[in-house]
Amino acid sequence: MTKNTLNDKEMQEWIETEWGYEKLPMGGSVPYPGSSKFFKTGDWSPFKAVVDREKCTKCTTCFFLCPDSAIKMDEEEIPVMDFDYCKGCGICAEECPSDAIEMKDLTK
Amino acid sequence: MTKAKVTKGKRIGMTGDEAVANAAAVINPDVVAAYPITPQTIIVEHFSDFVHDGEVDTEFVCVESEHSAMSACVGASATGARVFTASASQGVALMFEILFIASASRLPIVMSVANRALSGPINIHGELTDQTVCRDTGWISLFSESAQEAYDNTFLAFKIGEHPDVSLPVMFGLDGFILTHALEGVFPLDRKFSKDFLPEREMVHPTIPGNPVSSGLLALPNYYMEVKYQQELAMDAARKVIPKAFEEFGEKTGRYYKSVEGYQMEDAETALVTMGALSGTTKFVVDKLRKEGEKVGMIKVKTYRPFPADDLAKALKDVDAVGVIDRDLTFGAPGAALYTDLKTSLYDYKDRPQVFGYIAGIGGRDVLVKDYEYIYKQVLKNKGAEKAVPVEWIGLRK
Ligand code: SF4
Ligand code: SF4
Repeated sequence: MTKNTLNDKEMQEWIETEWGYEKLPMGGSVPYPGSSKFFKTGDWSPFKAVVDREKCTKCTTCFFLCPDSAIKMDEEEIPVMDFDYCKGCGICAEECPSDAIEMKDLTK
Repeated sequence: MTKAKVTKGKRIGMTGDEAVANAAAVINPDVVAAYPITPQTIIVEHFSDFVHDGEVDTEFVCVESEHSAMSACVGASATGARVFTASASQGVALMFEILFIASASRLPIVMSVANRALSGPINIHGELTDQTVCRDTGWISLFSESAQEAYDNTFLAFKIGEHPDVSLPVMFGLDGFILTHALEGVFPLDRKFSKDFLPEREMVHPTIPGNPVSSGLLALPNYYMEVKYQQELAMDAARKVIPKAFEEFGEKTGRYYKSVEGYQMEDAETALVTMGALSGTTKFVVDKLRKEGEKVGMIKVKTYRPFPADDLAKALKDVDAVGVIDRDLTFGAPGAALYTDLKTSLYDYKDRPQVFGYIAGIGGRDVLVKDYEYIYKQVLKNKGAEKAVPVEWIGLRK
């Protein structure tokens, strides 16, 4: 069995191709890893999670609970949200024990 | 210790359920996930004996419901494993949403259905509705006339479903109690036959460690239609694969099957059409009527999905009138499942018989020789009718 991988450019092209039923992999499966990287959930909502760096106690709760892996901990161990993927669900804000995350409408 | 009956050549007494369990043991699937339900219970019970006694290498997954059983089957099959399960009635109903996922994901799971009437009212006896309601699930659907045919269907189902052009799940029915619990002499097959007839399954994109694949995905309006059309093409492919599978099976075992089997059809003016265990009695009645000088034959529909429309039209083109006997129900429709499909299939043909519908054996009610004779008489009486004749329920009290 051959292992199938695509680089970013190939993956982008593969995703953007509007496959017909003849070439679409059987059952609509995606035989390559990493396609969700190109699935930008950030445009789902105007609300984004914004961290108050003063209030944050670096507990990492938000990091583990974000369903879209949109949170990275920076060099000071404070969460940074990637707005390409933050879909504005508010889970992190709800669960933050220090009330350090605010859901902000960034379109305003 | 339960010995799997894997010898060849001599007939062994088995109930329909035992026959299916034994056939599955010969096939030795990678995974079986199932939940017991009357009248299917003996299949899984017997198979779990084989697992316990080390007669099979199967991973047997005990689950808490049929919904979980089918879900486990989907997961296992997505890794490229050969997967078997069995259910009936409410169990199949509980699996319903996963049945669509199995077919759309193109997973050739095999399920035997011990056909039983659906609740309510609650009933445990034979009726085919639990399988006919699955007609839109995208599964290939076969029926059995005897325990032997159920035994053979276990092999045929894997053969058809796993064909790379098809890659679809397959269910095959055996009438509850009438086949599942009645003892019959069955010619068994062996592991050597199984290895030869069923080469290892090959899956294009299996989900296994080291080979990331996403399957069972979201497909919104820009992709859903394409995925669904692929399923239709797979059904078309099955129309070609099924007769070849039957042919190869026949050459190797001497038992030849057809999607549409004609019996005493030469010079027949009238035909009865059935599915499942009713077919056995119908053959007996046809023989009896033939002796009385009636020009009657019968057609047994073995393959229900993909529906063998052209084969049926061909088989019935020289017949004047047909009585379709359905052991299944649907309400507010033009008629029961087989009747409506058959009628639709014939519409485009110039030489087509008149078709009359009969509903019999519902909830396991006995269908006796005199009932078939009555149906035959009704077909003769209705022949030439210029108005639609309503579908008639046989043996119903007023
Ligand atoms: S709002 Fe939701 S998606 Fe955005 S960072 Fe918080 S948990 Fe993640
Ligand atoms: S959950 Fe709140 S306190 Fe904990 S790391 Fe995230 S923002 Fe900081």
